[in-house]
Amino acid sequence: MKNGFVIFLAAFAVLASSWGAFVLAPQLQLGGAKQVSVLNSSDVYPLNRPGEANQGLRIYRANGCAACHTEQVQQAGFACDVVLTAAGKNPTVISNLISTLKLRGLNEREAEAAANKITTAGGKVETHIVATGPDISRGWGLRHSVAEDFLYDSPVQLGSIRVGPDLADVGARLPDMNWQLLHLYAPQNVVKDSAMPPFRYLFETKKIGDAPSRDALNLPKEFAPAAGYEVVPKAEAKQLVAYLLSLHTDVPLYDAPFTPPQVSTNAPANKQ
Amino acid sequence: MSDEPKSCSTRSNAEPTAARSHLPMWILVLMLALLYLGGIYFDRHSGWFDKQVYSPYANAAELESYQPKSGAAALLAQSKKTYEFVCGVCHGTDGLGKPGQFPPLAGSEWVNAKDYKRLAQIPLEGLGGTVHVKGQEWNASMAAMGAGLSDADLAAVLTYVRSSWGNQAGAVAADDVKLVRATVAGKPAINGEPQLKTIPE
Repeated sequence: MKNGFVIFLAAFAVLASSWGAFVLAPQLQLGGAKQVSVLNSSDVYPLNRPGEANQGLRIYRANGCAACHTEQVQQAGFACDVVLTAAGKNPTVISNLISTLKLRGLNEREAEAAANKITTAGGKVETHIVATGPDISRGWGLRHSVAEDFLYDSPVQLGSIRVGPDLADVGARLPDMNWQLLHLYAPQNVVKDSAMPPFRYLFETKKIGDAPSRDALNLPKEFAPAAGYEVVPKAEAKQLVAYLLSLHTDVPLYDAPFTPPQVSTNAPANKQ
Repeated sequence: MSDEPKSCSTRSNAEPTAARSHLPMWILVLMLALLYLGGIYFDRHSGWFDKQVYSPYANAAELESYQPKSGAAALLAQSKKTYEFVCGVCHGTDGLGKPGQFPPLAGSEWVNAKDYKRLAQIPLEGLGGTVHVKGQEWNASMAAMGAGLSDADLAAVLTYVRSSWGNQAGAVAADDVKLVRATVAGKPAINGEPQLKTIPE
């Protein structure tokens, strides 16, 4: 081969540059990712999962949940809503002014202009930042996913096909443990027309002893076992549900700002 | 068939060589146009490789301009900082005070009073002597810690104290603090519970 060395150099350069772009650069950029602070709060995000939920990540992986579910919310855009909090001394002037202004779906400059007009007329306003897009309007999250969401996931279960809904924020959307267990045992019981297969091998059907188990599922007649039997979740089912409930992305971050729908002043009461 | 084949053997054995010609102008123009479009696309969608800039935001400046600046959440965060700096040293960031030294604010009947006037007067004027908080007697002297804060800041801190750690009393407005400040101007510290109780609630 006449130009063997040149071809070797060229191939090496191509592979080295792609390694640099796809391995080295992301590692330099996000390899040192740490917990970040939640916007307008002294809380940090994300918190490490409890051990049971970490076990649940393995169950999630082993059952191939990522084949039908994603864990990544996308955001098409963002908008500012100007919200009146107090009308002040001239409510009629303010309401007349508001009827002439556009207050929803503004960009940052329009929002500031509208807020200025209302404040100079004597009203008080707040500017709310909301994420927009198909995923957001389906209720799958309040903001787009960011790298920190996956800080404690190993391996990350991004998923690429959405036969079922996105699960990035499922712990905030459906926080009821019993609902999740019922849904795993018989999806069509709680979501009619669901395409999800039942995961009954995560449960045990056993004879009722002296008294029914505390964990026994409360199933309707068509899904219930024979009389005298009860359905009890195995440890795997509980772990999987603990993992699902640990999926929370409902906090605003610097990289993904939004105004939380409700602001509670007794914040510690909401902590899980 | 006397014609000998023409001697082309030398020509067919020769190494073929490619003809050279100039790069056509239209390719050059096309390349430049693509480079230009690529540059525009890069500017709009790359976020300039900033790790904090994600898809709908074009660059760090745009992300910065969409950080919530106003609203209840921002005010709460600000008043929490002020509280921790000014009041939290003694009364604790959890509002529980220090046993035997500084009375708690969480669940305190003085904090949760229906009106704010008595409460607002304490940081504006200071408090000495003995007071009873949650059934316990406290003997500590507090300086006029709030006198240096602006009306808006003190109102925000009072609102924070009255709505945190399980307290559920109403908010305090900056104008209200202004009125109280006008009445206490130049007065010495409140002397104990009897005098505190003479202040209209």
